[in-house]
Amino acid sequence: MDGMQGAAGTVRSGEVIKPAIAFESVHLDLGGREVLRDVSFSLPSGSFGCVIGPSGSGKTTVLRLAGGFLQAKNGSVCVGGVPRSGPSRDVAVVFQDYGRALLPWRDSYGNVSLALEAAGVPRSERKDRIERLLTTVGLGKHLHKYPSEMSGGMQQRLQIARCLAQEPRILLMDEPFGALDAMTRQTLQDELLRLVSDSGMTVLFVTHDLEEALYLGDVVVALAANPGRVDRVVTVPLPSPRSQLATREHSEFLRLRRELFGLMQDGHG
Amino acid sequence: MRAVRELAVALTGLGIVLLVWWAVTETGLISRAFLPSPDAALAALQRGLARDLLAQTGATVILMFQGWLLASLVAIILGALIGLNQTARETLEPLLEFIRPLPASAIIPIAIAVFGLTPGMVLSVVAFGSLWPTLLATVHGFKSVEPRLVEVSRALGLSRLSFVWKIGLPNAVPDVLAGMRLSLTVALILAIVTEMLAGQQGLGTAILLAGRSFRAADIFAGLILLGLIGLISNLVLEAIEQRLLRWRAA
Repeated sequence: MDGMQGAAGTVRSGEVIKPAIAFESVHLDLGGREVLRDVSFSLPSGSFGCVIGPSGSGKTTVLRLAGGFLQAKNGSVCVGGVPRSGPSRDVAVVFQDYGRALLPWRDSYGNVSLALEAAGVPRSERKDRIERLLTTVGLGKHLHKYPSEMSGGMQQRLQIARCLAQEPRILLMDEPFGALDAMTRQTLQDELLRLVSDSGMTVLFVTHDLEEALYLGDVVVALAANPGRVDRVVTVPLPSPRSQLATREHSEFLRLRRELFGLMQDGHG
Repeated sequence: MRAVRELAVALTGLGIVLLVWWAVTETGLISRAFLPSPDAALAALQRGLARDLLAQTGATVILMFQGWLLASLVAIILGALIGLNQTARETLEPLLEFIRPLPASAIIPIAIAVFGLTPGMVLSVVAFGSLWPTLLATVHGFKSVEPRLVEVSRALGLSRLSFVWKIGLPNAVPDVLAGMRLSLTVALILAIVTEMLAGQQGLGTAILLAGRSFRAADIFAGLILLGLIGLISNLVLEAIEQRLLRWRAA
């Protein structure tokens, strides 16, 4: 009796500290090729986690597992303590190829609206929410532009607005700024940090850009390639809010950059 | 300004054709028994319109549009089902590929046997023949949805029906419209040919009868009307297309 109560108590206290995203000994083979081997890491709720690694390290696969687009055969992928069995509305995904992820026949208003329509938000409530979301991402003056009329940066802002409309607890981002020019990328990095800290979302951000990972992340999961496996998990002890100048010159930033730099290089060999 | 220029160019082209036509008949290069002069053709057109040519043209145009609309409706629904469903595609595509190349005029005897010499028979042939371009285009439009958008709709939790309506259909619209334009041409051809074969009232029969009694000017009056039907219906479809696809224009 005592023992059972004790066990139940452990479970209950375990639930309190359940991480937002948890990978445990995940193995994955795709088409006969080993893509991931024994991948384990976890992100506490509200944290910003970055996954980096050279090509072939399975970064995007990790994100697709967290998104529920892929199922792990061995090991477990949990989001909010629940094993992932498919995509769900509380986990939003920002894809790298914004050009294909947006509906070209809907203007920015209509693209954001799609998320609200899917969630069954009544028409009368949509207008205010859409306008507010588009203003949040800096598209307040471009409500009725079609994606083909917008720059890459604007299209990616639009996709982020659509994801925010889902009111997700978790935001998955697959190299979202990889196709953008350096200036736009830095602006969007800062805007993303502001949005995320306002909302309390947990973020899993995949990138091949080491400096981007260190600049954005509280936690950086560094993967090694062939097969993809966790090389190390680094906590980034840099002060918030981050600043494009000060943070990138911080001694800790430079130290971590040096530590992880070799890892990214090895993968290409 | 551009529209004015385009119109001017188009009218110049028409003027040149009329001038050559007039010159050829005036000089007697081609006998007027075969090729009437432009003014004779226009006079015949005026005369015909004053009698029953307008009613006959109307009969043909109505059959053509009815058949075409019926075909379009069936093609879009069937095409959506086939395009969205891989099993349906694998089962039906070989069958469709067998039926599609059949000349639509080859089914006229079957249609006559089933419907008799009636306007309904013409309608069925027009609908059957003009089904295929739209059907195949619709299948393509629905099956070519960007895979990324399938993932987006899964992440958003979009229902299957919403996916068809909000992503599948708009994605297919450019293909559907292109198919419908092709189908309209086929519908006009079949309406005329079937009328001629079955002796139904209409523009096709009017042209055929004029030919049999060597009234060249009347033949050309009919041809001018046919050309106008094609031209006007195409202009209307183009305007609809531009309106529905304005997201593409930018």
